[in-house]
Amino acid sequence: MSAAAHAEAAPKLGVHGLTHRFEIGDARVPLVVLRDIELSIPRGRFVCLIGESGCGKSTLLRMMAGLLSPSEGRVLHDGVPVRGVNQALGFVFQQDAVFPWLTVERNVEYGPKSRGVPKPERERLVAHWCDAVGLSGFRKAYPKQLSGGMRKRVDLARAYANSPDVLLMDEPFAALDVQTKSTMQEAVLKLWESTQKTVVFVTHDLDEAVFLSDVVVVLASRPGRVHTIVDNPLGRPRDEATRVSDAFTAAKRALWSALQDARRASGPPATAREAAPHAMSDHDSMRT
Amino acid sequence: MSEGATTTARDGSPASRRGASGAWRRLLRPSIVVGALSLCAVVALYWAMALRPGTNPALVPAPPQIVQTFVDELRSGDLATNTFASMKRVLAGYVIGAALALLLGALAGWFRGWGYVLNPVIDALRPIPALAYIPLVIVWVGIGEPSRIIIIALAVFKPIVVNARAGMQEVAQIYVDAARTLGASRWRVFSTVAIPSAIPYFIAGLRTGVSTGFLALVAAELIAAPSGLGFMIQNAGQYFRTDVTIVGIIVIGILGALLDQIASRAGRALTSWSEVRRDP
Repeated sequence: MSAAAHAEAAPKLGVHGLTHRFEIGDARVPLVVLRDIELSIPRGRFVCLIGESGCGKSTLLRMMAGLLSPSEGRVLHDGVPVRGVNQALGFVFQQDAVFPWLTVERNVEYGPKSRGVPKPERERLVAHWCDAVGLSGFRKAYPKQLSGGMRKRVDLARAYANSPDVLLMDEPFAALDVQTKSTMQEAVLKLWESTQKTVVFVTHDLDEAVFLSDVVVVLASRPGRVHTIVDNPLGRPRDEATRVSDAFTAAKRALWSALQDARRASGPPATAREAAPHAMSDHDSMRT
Repeated sequence: MSEGATTTARDGSPASRRGASGAWRRLLRPSIVVGALSLCAVVALYWAMALRPGTNPALVPAPPQIVQTFVDELRSGDLATNTFASMKRVLAGYVIGAALALLLGALAGWFRGWGYVLNPVIDALRPIPALAYIPLVIVWVGIGEPSRIIIIALAVFKPIVVNARAGMQEVAQIYVDAARTLGASRWRVFSTVAIPSAIPYFIAGLRTGVSTGFLALVAAELIAAPSGLGFMIQNAGQYFRTDVTIVGIIVIGILGALLDQIASRAGRALTSWSEVRRDP
């Protein structure tokens, strides 16, 4: 098999034998956050990771990006092991990560500029992606002048303008109100349809997972592990009306029972050791 | 209503709606009125003390006498010479001290290796008042312009280096992660993420540096300076010219407030993106 053919067959992202432990407090026994994760993210698909809060889904996503290193196992991107931050991927965070000291257009330009893309090409990218997320009229605005939903649009435009190979999104719309959230989901679908880029999207929201995904990976908790992988039967293209269709309800029901199953399979709730896993190790990861 | 008035009304504040009366209203803002009253009260208190029976007007001169002395000093050109000499020193010392402090503070607060090297030095120097170095500087550098500038630079250095370092240590991890995933090199993260987000701390340090700089200026000029406001104060004291001393003190106060305003306004311009409340 030639190298090219092999790359074609390999999944876009692969997670193999991934286990992660946190040492919390003075406990001698480390907390196992993720155990034996095996996962293949096929090229061009929209994959959602769903699980209850604390199941380690955000930690897993950060490991796919190389923002955290797993205790054991590895992440492959096009068959190549990821070491350190994988700058070929785009990441959209749950928190507001738009740089407040830069205008909208400077934010969008940040990735291409970091990579040394020449100015005329950067101008074109900024114009294109600001337009794609509906922010053309706000290019000179500072983030503090924008609403939460608009900042998320900046975040999306910034990620896409960098032409990432895969987009990883960590509950990007969790902090938005219901109306804005739906609008943003439609915006993400449009971006995905027009670019055909692989997306891995973490959420705990059933509706969101059903509306967006091709495939849903359901995680069980304590320790976090893959419980089932559900194919989403909902057809495309999808729009606002899809949300009230019978097909949507059926898909949601199927996913709901998978999630219930996963919940039953989860370990007993942790008490003193309950923690937001990724928050604790944030500061170890990136500093020089 | 004139055309100019319509354009100024754009910012929507009622004060700017009408030309002349708008200017009055701006001047009569509570912050300015109360501030002026508070200053007047201090002057009045002092005046009452000066007029108390049995007080020697040579030692406690009344405000009109001080104003007269101010005018005389201005006419003779002494005040201008001394002010200019002091400003030159304070600016030279400030620029040297602040530039070094920002550079070293930023490096120590951001890069682990630089921190290992610089932090013990910064923390060891931290509790030592800059004025304690005066005898050492005089012995090593001699009595002259360079030693005065060095003392001011040392005094300015400390608050700025401590603030700059703290600012770099407080940079939100989320911005660093975002920049790294977007392809920024470590150097680019330092220069385009860490530095801008630490600017509010830099400004706080630079403003504190203005006041410690003036403190050191006067102290440095007390040791055998041929000119300067500190010299003027010291010299006048020896001849019981309390009025001249007071004029010198007031001029230092005004200069300090002016430089602080410049630093604060520059800071505001640089951090206009920030959502932090910044009232007084």
